Amino acid sequence: MNYKNKKGFLLIMVIVFSFGFLAGCSSNSETPIEKQGFYMGTVVTEKAYGQNASQAVAEGMRRIKDLEDKMTVNAPGGEIAQLNVSAGNGAYVPLSSDSLYVLKSALKYGQLTQGTFDVTIGPLVQSWGSFKPNSKIPSPIEIDRIRELVNYRDLEFNEKENAVRLKNPGQMIDLGGIAKGYAGDEVIKIFKAYGIESAYVNLGGNVVVLGGKPDGSPWNVGIRNPRAQDGSSLGVLEIRDKTVVTSGDYERYFEEDGLRYHHILDPQTGYPAQSGLISVTVVSDTSMEADALSTAVFILGLAKGLELVQSMAGVDAILITEDREIYITSGLKESFTLTDQGGSYRYHEKT
Amino acid sequence: MKKHDLILAGMIICIVFIGFGGLKLYRAENNNEPRIAVITQDNVLVERIDLNAVEEPREITLPGPYHEILQVEKGRIRFKEADCPDQICVRRGWLQNPGDMAVCLPNKAIIRITGN
Repeated sequence: MNYKNKKGFLLIMVIVFSFGFLAGCSSNSETPIEKQGFYMGTVVTEKAYGQNASQAVAEGMRRIKDLEDKMTVNAPGGEIAQLNVSAGNGAYVPLSSDSLYVLKSALKYGQLTQGTFDVTIGPLVQSWGSFKPNSKIPSPIEIDRIRELVNYRDLEFNEKENAVRLKNPGQMIDLGGIAKGYAGDEVIKIFKAYGIESAYVNLGGNVVVLGGKPDGSPWNVGIRNPRAQDGSSLGVLEIRDKTVVTSGDYERYFEEDGLRYHHILDPQTGYPAQSGLISVTVVSDTSMEADALSTAVFILGLAKGLELVQSMAGVDAILITEDREIYITSGLKESFTLTDQGGSYRYHEKT
Repeated sequence: MKKHDLILAGMIICIVFIGFGGLKLYRAENNNEPRIAVITQDNVLVERIDLNAVEEPREITLPGPYHEILQVEKGRIRFKEADCPDQICVRRGWLQNPGDMAVCLPNKAIIRITGN
């Protein structure tokens, strides 16, 4: 090389060196806003990227609190609590459009699952309590008595007055199997209204994602190993614009005499569902639907549960049995990666 | 191009990578990245602590229905003891990096480390 070329070459190398140095000082052009809250009996996390992320996240949390206040049965005064108190006295109780919509949808899911998903399961939930250690098991007589009260068809609508009533005294609505899903969808609506394109909300494992990550890659949602003591996952779902909702027998339970009593009650038997499944994850476009379905599929068991999922467009699922078998519907084949290190789970893909 | 030109080019490329890597190492070692512990109980802020600025270790007793004690040290924080049934919060151990989180559901308590 002659002198001039060398000088130019050296100059280029110095510039490249500088870039290398500067690249080491990375600056965050995309800083997310993240917020946690305690609502609906669990930890809620929101994370959003974008100019309006701060306002969007704050409004999202307020909306969740609003829905909790309306729908909770763990505190008096909310409209669903009032509905329950009025059961059997003939009076229709006026409700907000939120509660009306959720109850109408719940009815629809009740019909779709032939009563496996039943929001009038309130009395059974109350009887079993919080599933803390050393909880009392309700007596068979009490369970039989209470089972009579569970019937979603006894939810009666007065369309003109936007009001609802429960037909018989003692009947109770419990929205535990659907409220988080509805809340998740409502938060995403708020994010979209603020022009957010990359975000997620996680209500105690009920996950809804908006878009993918800011760099375009999908969000990674871990699927918990139902029997890992440390809460580690056995796989990862890569998703964009979807919801992932899991129902499992490891979330709320107590054990007595070697038997596990978990919180997913079968409306037909009155006892925790013994369907052979220990975890069901539903992936779909609406979280309210995924929430209701994950409960129903868990109770239905492997065969009937798969049948239900496959009969619905846009719905996929991961079903894990007590024998450590993982069944996954075809729509998730590309997005699910098994990370189970010990190899204790066997993996099957279903059409 | 002569051999010594190639050697020079190679050296400069190495320097670029060392510069890049060295800077990253410097940042990691110096722990200059901010770590703020945000402690809430029933959605009420209990305390915000700049963990990097903690000199003396101390303890915080949380409000709420369950008796719970947090341990705060330079750069880290944890649930030290709690009388909740499952002890998941205590078992979580030390939190130190932004994004780390520990929760006690029965007591509605959340500790989260944030970078801002």
